[in-house]
Amino acid sequence: MILFLGFVGIQFVRPDVPNPPVTGDLEVPADVKAIVQRACYDCHSNNTNLRWYDKIVPVYWGVASHIKDGRADLNFSEWNKLAPADQKAKLWESINQIISGAMPLPSYTAVHTEAKVSPADLGVLKNYLASMVHNKPADTAAINAADKQYQHWEKNETAIAKLPTAANGIAYIPDYKNWQPISTTERFDNNTLRVIFGNDIAVKAIKENNIHPWPNGAIFAKVAWAQLQDKDGTTHTGEFKQVEYMIKDDKKYASTYGWGWARFKTPKMVPYGGANVLFTNECMNCHKPMAAEDFVFTLPIKH
Amino acid sequence: MKAFYSLLAACALMLAACSDNKPVELYNTKAALPSSPKYNLDGLKVITSFVNKTKGTASTLYGNDLALKAAIEGNKIIAAKEVFTLVTWKQQDDDHWFGAKIPSDVESVEVIKTASSGNNVAVNYEQLEGRNLDLKTDTSGQAERIKYILGQKPSVLP
Ligand code: HEC
Ligand code: HEC
Repeated sequence: MILFLGFVGIQFVRPDVPNPPVTGDLEVPADVKAIVQRACYDCHSNNTNLRWYDKIVPVYWGVASHIKDGRADLNFSEWNKLAPADQKAKLWESINQIISGAMPLPSYTAVHTEAKVSPADLGVLKNYLASMVHNKPADTAAINAADKQYQHWEKNETAIAKLPTAANGIAYIPDYKNWQPISTTERFDNNTLRVIFGNDIAVKAIKENNIHPWPNGAIFAKVAWAQLQDKDGTTHTGEFKQVEYMIKDDKKYASTYGWGWARFKTPKMVPYGGANVLFTNECMNCHKPMAAEDFVFTLPIKH
Repeated sequence: MKAFYSLLAACALMLAACSDNKPVELYNTKAALPSSPKYNLDGLKVITSFVNKTKGTASTLYGNDLALKAAIEGNKIIAAKEVFTLVTWKQQDDDHWFGAKIPSDVESVEVIKTASSGNNVAVNYEQLEGRNLDLKTDTSGQAERIKYILGQKPSVLP
């Protein structure tokens, strides 16, 4: 009874979920938009539709914080605030979150069954994204940019005296290029090529079948380049974009899934996130569906 | 009170959703390279990586320190003791990321080794093919492959 009274009592304690104005809504074909609106808008837009059961505290507290978190990371009502490349990236990330079952949040679809994304819906979303992929030979601007960068690098003009450090204290590790590659990826969602390197501890763990979980001290470095397609269909690595690290230490990095995360952009190795340590949330959110694989996407190739 | 029970039901569902055990695939077994005395990637560095979208293949060119240095200098001079190894895989869709392709079955491993012979440098080329990395006995087209491999521009790795 006390519990019940408390339950009624706390109904009056509720954080506010205002609906701010829509500055520029998601622009996609109608069938795609209908799915996204139905499955995602309650948490990722300014048109939150709170039904009666969402308004019961403490369900409401959970919902309010989901809306706040969801909106902060991805807001389809403020779509115009993202650069076109970032809009595209968010759509690919979204479909992958759906495929992995991470989104819409399972705790939400358990109650809002109508928000579930059916296999047919997923087909519509996949076809739409696949239709945005275009393969064409590189234009002169891309070729020139790559050439210019190459010449600097070849003459060793990109060597860095003081190691840049990300907001979470992780410094750029120049030795990554001497590590062994454990896999490569062609990313046709964002037109890049990638090589994933593993340090000695990671490579030893692969040889010894000891990667579940990965041992402390294992480090991955993933390098991304722009794609440079020539006329006979071969796609080479163009401009160097960034190098990203995951450093395993289940104690030191316990609060970030046991991994230290950092990304350094351009040959100048500019730390991503600037002074804001919250950049790691972005890394973690996207790697979260791989929790059963110790948050690692790559399947290493043994030799 | 009914709402409270549906809340409990929702919590139970949440817990259930977290405990489904899907089998975890940890290695790319398809793309694994069988060990062979004919090639050795240990200690070799990445020179570059490329894909062919028409053929659906992914390749990585490896080299020892001398080969990497020569490649950065445009392979204008071929010196002795350089080792280049080009591994080519078929591609497959990445099950973990819609929007990515990763290596699948090995198609070939091509090895170039240079050695001094008198006043010259001899360039030896071998191609290993297929799953079992059998030595290709047909030697036609070798000169072209050597030219192609030595013509690859290294990837910028700052
Ligand atoms: C019940 C609320 C809710 C619903 C519905 C929901 N999300 Fe989310 N979403 C969240 C929250 C909260 C986060 C923050 C990360 C976390 O807690 O997992 C998030 C994070 C994300 C992210 C990562 C954002 C980033 O860049 O860091 C993506 C992408 C995403 N959601 C896509 C979707 C898509 C697509 C749908 C619809 C199919 C959807 N979500 C439905 C609550 C929701
Ligand atoms: C939008 C999704 C997304 C975000 C955000 C993201 N990653 Fe990843 N990451 C991936 C995918 C997918 C792979 C698999 C390799 C590939 O295809 O690029 C990957 C692979 C990696 C790898 C190689 C090891 C592995 O897990 O396969 C590292 C290292 C890495 N990411 C670091 C980072 C860091 C650091 C950040 C944040 C600064 C970050 N990632 C943010 C999607 C993401």
